[in-house]
Amino acid sequence: MRGLTAGYGAVEVLHGIDLDVEDGEIVVILGANGAGKTTTMRAVSGMIARTGTVELSGVDIARTGAEKLVRLGIAHVPQGRGTFAELSVIDNLRTGAYSRTSRAEVDADIDRWFGVFPRLAERRDQRAGSLSGGEQQMLAIARALMSRPRLLLCDEPSLGLAPLITQEVFDVLRRLNSEDGLSVLLVEQNANLALRVASRVYLLETGTVVASGTAAEISSDDSIRKAYLGA
Amino acid sequence: MERFFQYVFDGLSFGAIYALLALGLVVVFRGTGHLNFAQGEMAMICTFVVWQFHDWGVPLVLAVVLGMVVGFALGAGVEATLIRGVAKKSQAGVFVVSIALFLGLNSLAAMVWGNLPPEQLPSLFPDEPVDFQRIFGAVWRYEYIGVLVVALVLMGLLFLLFAKTKFGLAMRAVASNPESAKLAGIPTSLVLASSWGIASAMGALSGSLWGGIVGELGAGLMFTVFIYASAAATLGGFDSPGGAVIAGLSIGVGEQLLAGYFPGWIGQEMKLSVALITIFVVLLFKPSGLFGSAKVERV
Amino acid sequence: MWKIREGSAQHWLLRSIGIAIIAVVVVWVPTQMSSSRIGQFSDAFILMIAAMSLNLVLGFTGQISIGHSAFFGIGGYTAAILIKDHGWSPGYTFYAAAVVAFVVGCLVALPALRIRGVYLALVTLAVAVLFPTLVKWKKLAWLTEGAMGIDSVRYEEVPVWPILGELKGREGRAVFMFWLALIVVVVTYLVCRGIVKSRFGRALVAIRDNETAAAVMGVNLTTTKVLVFGVSAALCALAGVLSTLKSGVVTPEGQYVTLLGSIVFLLVMVVGGAGTLWGPIVGGLVYVWLDNTTRDIGTDSGGILGAIFGWADQSPATLILGVALVLIMFLAPYGLVGLFRKLWRKVVVVLPKPAGSGSSSPS
Repeated sequence: MRGLTAGYGAVEVLHGIDLDVEDGEIVVILGANGAGKTTTMRAVSGMIARTGTVELSGVDIARTGAEKLVRLGIAHVPQGRGTFAELSVIDNLRTGAYSRTSRAEVDADIDRWFGVFPRLAERRDQRAGSLSGGEQQMLAIARALMSRPRLLLCDEPSLGLAPLITQEVFDVLRRLNSEDGLSVLLVEQNANLALRVASRVYLLETGTVVASGTAAEISSDDSIRKAYLGA
Repeated sequence: MERFFQYVFDGLSFGAIYALLALGLVVVFRGTGHLNFAQGEMAMICTFVVWQFHDWGVPLVLAVVLGMVVGFALGAGVEATLIRGVAKKSQAGVFVVSIALFLGLNSLAAMVWGNLPPEQLPSLFPDEPVDFQRIFGAVWRYEYIGVLVVALVLMGLLFLLFAKTKFGLAMRAVASNPESAKLAGIPTSLVLASSWGIASAMGALSGSLWGGIVGELGAGLMFTVFIYASAAATLGGFDSPGGAVIAGLSIGVGEQLLAGYFPGWIGQEMKLSVALITIFVVLLFKPSGLFGSAKVERV
Repeated sequence: MWKIREGSAQHWLLRSIGIAIIAVVVVWVPTQMSSSRIGQFSDAFILMIAAMSLNLVLGFTGQISIGHSAFFGIGGYTAAILIKDHGWSPGYTFYAAAVVAFVVGCLVALPALRIRGVYLALVTLAVAVLFPTLVKWKKLAWLTEGAMGIDSVRYEEVPVWPILGELKGREGRAVFMFWLALIVVVVTYLVCRGIVKSRFGRALVAIRDNETAAAVMGVNLTTTKVLVFGVSAALCALAGVLSTLKSGVVTPEGQYVTLLGSIVFLLVMVVGGAGTLWGPIVGGLVYVWLDNTTRDIGTDSGGILGAIFGWADQSPATLILGVALVLIMFLAPYGLVGLFRKLWRKVVVVLPKPAGSGSSSPS
């Protein structure tokens, strides 16, 4: 994206962001609360109106709607999970596959993800709302993966999760990235954890990118470390 | 004893008609979060349309089906244009718009079909005085049996739609979390409009069945049915389709029993008050209804 | 754009002009127009009062009510019963009706304490439909005369008031009703204005905008809601009394006693301008004008309306109003008064007094 501007109603939150995600990368957006990280995600996935250039593999998607973007290969795991609480676990997964046509392939994928997330398989007919926070996070990710995306947007997956579970989640993301070549755009408050999986990092502050570079560059930059990593 | 069964049978048939309309209210509420005050009037207009088709020579069954299609289009169209436009601004605005619809459709019906001699809608089923069956000593007219069966079949189909089909899943997803539904790639606008469309089509069927029983059509045809349906939706819980059906049937049977066994106190004229008092009592004591979980109460 | 300071001489000049215009109209009507025209104005006044009462509850407090027709009916029936069966003088029935309606209004408010907007609409719907049904109930016929209603509810002789002198016959009664209704309108307006500009009024608006926040800030939700419903019901009942005195009868299917009445009140309020003090007044005038103009469409097609609606079997009045209502919702959520204000502001702006010298109103 180039010069991405977006906001809510009369309030402009993002003031011209330039950001790239290359194939097979894990890109992390860091920043304090209110910096505009979630807004950026929502702008990419089409949930809010935006101006500027947004391209997916060279195709302009700035004006494409959210539902269509799923078909084009962008899947967004929102902040706070966003699971369908009243629906069963397996129904949640099926919703992720809504835009797909082959029933057999969908079923195969369901089996695959149940394999990757065995705890979900145990609870396949349970109401999603009765799952724990960590399980819901897995469910949300699995649902997003059901649409076979090329780019996964993950908004603060560690929010409200115990460290052990968070580690599991990140392990899964890393696996998918290395095995399937899934590109990930990750928003995280937990900078330390995020830096360990990231290829490149962007630092967002009140709606603009203030720093960017590889994970190594960023974590070795002293001023950034003091401000965001508490070192 | 025969009297008891008579009341029960009649009550079930009327109750099925109330339940159909109540289901429409519930589908709209679950799908879009609104109460469609004009549900009865939309059903009434569709019933007139059915009559019009029939008057032009279309066979009655086909006319009813066409009426349901028109109903679907009407409901979806209203949602996509009026409701969605106002909902962005204010919730109360949606209510006002549905009241405006109530008025407008009522007036429209009077304007288009008002001055002719009262339109007669024949029943879908044989309804000569000799067309009945005696069960347990009570008279069960074929017409009433037909109404009950058709209504139950339609409701069953609707439940299948919800539970087993992909589109039904989409509807449930949108009802649960519209934002996530969008992120999952579900065409949310289509689903919202379809909720209203389905509800309106159910209303059209309800109206046609009711019109067949009542015989004469008028702009006020569905008003009392709407009240009964509202009571049923309230009693069953606005987000519980099963609750609406059970409540609708119960109210139908209940009013027949009360009116029949207490003619001095309730009688035919006061039957409607049964529904009204039900609304009052339920909202006072258990606002989310018997089977519902809707957050009716304030935080 | 003309800028003037609130409270300045120019401001008072503007206000005086406005009042003068109104005064001229108010005197013109009963002295120069036919008794049927005068009657139409009285109808408008009655509507204004009902709409103003609904405005308190819906426009300012944000509680949906389509049950005010019941309060209207309570007013009418109270007056009728007291006058006909107990020989009361009509003047005192206003007070009695207000008290009865106040109590009922408070009772109706009880469900409102716990449930959200749309469900409250259902409760008030039930109340509105229940009232005529109860009136027609055989068990209550001793009180309400059932479906036939109560008639011959009038002033025996039109009271003699200063200035008006003696009024005789049909014209006299029409003129008297005009002035009586106008007085009640003014009283209602002052009551509403007083409430809205007081602390109580601010509590109402707080409830409308965000109930939880209001409660947290110390607004007693229960008392406030119950009180405002009670007052609103009492005012609406006054309109009911006027209507009964004017027509001489009250019936369960009567003009604003059924659910349709509640809807008309809502319409008048929204078209005029919800949440504004003058909205219902403007709305009442517009409604009565529209109603009279469209009444004969279809029978003799005259003018634009005739051209559009000539084919219709019956009056398109309610359809037009329904469309108007939808348009207002989309284009002018604050009704005609809101629109007027927007345009007016392009011409004249009243700058508020500097802070610390009194408060400005929320409307």
